Amino acid sequence: MTQEEIYKKVANTLVEALNVDEEEIQRGSRLQADLGAESIDFLDIVFRLEREFGIKIPRGELFPESIFQGDPDMVQNGKVTTKGLSELRQRMPYADLKRFESNPDVAAISDLFTVELITKYVEGKLRSGN
Amino acid sequence: MLLKDQVALVTGGSRGIGRGIVKAFAREGAKVAFVYRSKQAEAESLVQEITAAGGAAIAIQGDVADPAVPPATIAKVQQAFGGRLDILVNNAGVIRDTLFVRMSEEDWRTVLSTNLDGAFRFCKVAADLMVFKQRYGRIINISSVAAEHVNAGQTNYAASKGAINSFTKALATEVAGRNVTVNAVAPGFIETDMSEAVRNKAGDLVKKMIPAKRLGQPEDIAAVAVFLASAAASYVTGQVITVDGGLSLGTPAL
Repeated sequence: MTQEEIYKKVANTLVEALNVDEEEIQRGSRLQADLGAESIDFLDIVFRLEREFGIKIPRGELFPESIFQGDPDMVQNGKVTTKGLSELRQRMPYADLKRFESNPDVAAISDLFTVELITKYVEGKLRSGN
Repeated sequence: MLLKDQVALVTGGSRGIGRGIVKAFAREGAKVAFVYRSKQAEAESLVQEITAAGGAAIAIQGDVADPAVPPATIAKVQQAFGGRLDILVNNAGVIRDTLFVRMSEEDWRTVLSTNLDGAFRFCKVAADLMVFKQRYGRIINISSVAAEHVNAGQTNYAASKGAINSFTKALATEVAGRNVTVNAVAPGFIETDMSEAVRNKAGDLVKKMIPAKRLGQPEDIAAVAVFLASAAASYVTGQVITVDGGLSLGTPAL
């Protein structure tokens, strides 16, 4: 499956899961801020991706829960620390953190979850064969 | 008809409040499945009554405290009525009244496993359908005024109904974004088999405690359940609606 095909299928999945129009979905669309996703929708997206692509998504892998667990070494004054960033890179190797690193506001983490991120995640999953 | 072609499932439907709800739903055009545990004759007569009047109903035998029953029941409902489940009413409930110092572990478990665990498991299967597949659903949990206005001898029952009220509110917040409402109805003194022992013991005193000066009937609860299940209640969620003729308000006029 090409990247474009994966993207198309991810977009269709999001149309179903989030009840949005196809035109609203772009690669850079953020699930929460742009597409209105809430917690139950993230679960729905995971279930649908598993079905659509025939992959297994372990809990917390695509949408990690409580990455920093209130650890003061990882978040200070609302900013993710160097240690926190390395944790983030480890937990989300498929995420593009370049822009986030320049202003690592902890509240902006939800903005990392874009259509592009899901596409990349699925692509990696399919390539590694699990 | 307020519930035309909606598919409803009512637990504890062969008698008492559940029977009243089954009948009212059927009258409003819903296809109704109900669960009964032991009263087969009552269950069959109810199905007959509804089908004779041109409605659709099926009775499913099962103990709601059995973990295997909720998924199997909902699968049967889907099979019978075209795959949907629009309305779930968790009504099945039991009492094992006794003073706490005499209450056994079994008295406690029996009440909690039917009244609370049973509702949890039915909601679990139903929510999966309502939230992910249908994006629509109505869950109605039958609670009791005895959750808040507690009675001696009912620590188990009060705990189960108090838990149902909190569960109702918490679940409502999670699923509201998907057009699924979750509400509870808290009946007061309703003329059913469950309240018979207390009615016999207390006699006329019961009526004197109720400002409306009469016992409630299953129809009084069913009317509110119909409203909560109907399109008119789409913006009502996470509420515990007391239906008790004023019993929980305090002393009636003398």
